[in-house]
Amino acid sequence: MREQTAIQDHMAHFASAATAPVVIVGAGHSGVAVAAGLRARGWKGGILLLDAEKETPYERPPLSKELLKAGAPDESAVLRKEKFYQDKRIQRVAGAAVESVDRQGRTVLLSDGSRHAYHRLVLATGSRARPLTVPGARLPGVQALRTRDDALELKRLLVAGTRVAIIGAGYIGLEVAAAAAAKGCNVTVLEFQDRVMSRVTSVPVSRHFEKLHERHGVRFVFGAAVTEIEGGQRAERVVTADGAVFHADVVLAGIGVIPNQELAAEAGLECRDGILVDEDCLTSDAAIYATGDVTRFTSPIDGASQRLECIQNAQAQADRVAAHITGQPAAAPEIPWFWTVQHGVRLQTAGVRRPEDDVIVRGDPAGGSFSVIYARDGRLAAVDTVAGLADFRPARKLIAQGALIDPGLAADPGVPLADTILDDPAPAHADLAPARI
Amino acid sequence: MSNNELTVIDREGSTHRLEWEPDQTMMEALRDNDLPVLASCGGTASCATCHVFLDKEVFDTLGERSEDELELLVEAEGYQECGSRLSCQLDFSRELNGVTVTLAPED
Ligand SMILES: Cc1cc2nc3c(=O)[nH]c(=O)nc-3n(C[C@H](O)[C@H](O)[C@H](O)COP(=O)(O)OP(=O)(O)OC[C@H]3O[C@@H](n4cnc5c(N)ncnc54)[C@H](O)[C@@H]3O)c2cc1C
Ligand code: FES
Repeated sequence: MREQTAIQDHMAHFASAATAPVVIVGAGHSGVAVAAGLRARGWKGGILLLDAEKETPYERPPLSKELLKAGAPDESAVLRKEKFYQDKRIQRVAGAAVESVDRQGRTVLLSDGSRHAYHRLVLATGSRARPLTVPGARLPGVQALRTRDDALELKRLLVAGTRVAIIGAGYIGLEVAAAAAAKGCNVTVLEFQDRVMSRVTSVPVSRHFEKLHERHGVRFVFGAAVTEIEGGQRAERVVTADGAVFHADVVLAGIGVIPNQELAAEAGLECRDGILVDEDCLTSDAAIYATGDVTRFTSPIDGASQRLECIQNAQAQADRVAAHITGQPAAAPEIPWFWTVQHGVRLQTAGVRRPEDDVIVRGDPAGGSFSVIYARDGRLAAVDTVAGLADFRPARKLIAQGALIDPGLAADPGVPLADTILDDPAPAHADLAPARI
Repeated sequence: MSNNELTVIDREGSTHRLEWEPDQTMMEALRDNDLPVLASCGGTASCATCHVFLDKEVFDTLGERSEDELELLVEAEGYQECGSRLSCQLDFSRELNGVTVTLAPED
């Protein structure tokens, strides 16, 4: 089956425009990268890029960063200028959601009633903000942040003196906390865990960012389980399980995302908190790919089943899709990476940390700039860099090599990271490349 | 404003001539003309996939590199003290009309 589709792929690559196009559902980071990647790899057939949202496909990272800054224009960065899609013969239909997939007939049905045939289908539907489900969660003034419209609404609400309650101290909640504080809002962050960013980083990094936020006037309440939002016409108070009440004019819920997998699930594709894909990003249907936030896959690095929510993964998977459709070899698997900027301080992470990893602090957090190394069975598994990128690129290479690290040397920021590596009797995974960054 | 001309030497050593439009950064001009520039971070000086080399004479006419840009570049493959730039940090300017840039190797 797979072999046969590979041959078809190859033939379609050289075939006339008579064949149906590659149809991409979702014009976010991953969908647009598939379209661009297909053309860059010489795909001559049609490309149809669909999105429920009306506007020119745009970048998400600035929505919680640059866009919320005082005086920032409402226009935020687009992924590609309109002209790019014309020049590359990428046909777009914007403003209509794809409602169903007919796998037998190889067509998709849109909310505007139109039906489009596909040669290959690419599901790049991303994820959405996990909705708050407590009573009062639907009151005006309770916000999530995923789309440009969300960001513009939030921007309008964040004015000096406003009381802002942020539920969840993850990246998004903290980036908004920073933006709100900078605009003179009165910011309280309510977090169920006992520290910020607990899912993604270690205690030293959490503590560093907590102090940073507190210096800018942000207040944290840990161990807070929100049970209700109270208010008449609008949100006015956030109530937690211990009975505490926090007055707020704006409530932002930053409590994670859920994959937009319904389209795939209803079409009978295998899903499990994400659309399941193989190393070519194929779903359980050999004519349908999935890519980006919506996918779940086995890490080629450590065999873990994972869903990644970052630009790097959205782009890397898109490239695998474009490679497979055009019958070309894909790039080697990459070390995932992510960045966040809060109060002007950048945290950039390479690799995926696990809670049980050994933690080596490299440098003095009090000095403002440091790194934290995560070692697993003595090997470099992930690195957080705070306010300095010197370790970032070497880290990616060394993680890809599964390098054995000398913890003593690694703790000394004066020793370049590459010089903290021990001779390795049994190299871990020599076939992996670092992310091409 | 009219476009700039840009000559690009890719990683295989082939030469490409392209138009650089006034509302593009140099990275966007490269990427949107199908050169293999991944630009994973969307042009925020976070990833260094847009690393290019410029001639020293051209390099010297440009402003200082930011701390983030410099730290990424110093660790990049083939870093040149007086030639390496992140092309996403280079806005369109008339002075850059007709220059030649070389894509830095991927690492
Ligand atoms: C505020 C914010 C800040 C972020 N900051 C960073 C950061 O600093 N660094 C980083 O690495 N990552 C960041 N991320 C995460 C990053 O944006 C995502 O990982 C990335 O957008 C995933 O790309 P994607 O293409 O899979 O999904 P998306 O970009 O979410 O795109 C999915 C698209 O599919 C469309 N769609 C969904 N269902 C349908 C349907 N049925 N029919 C038609 N269209 C549909 C949606 O409208 C959407 O446009 C941030 C995310 C947010 C929200
Ligand atoms: S595009 Fe990422 S550093 Fe230039």
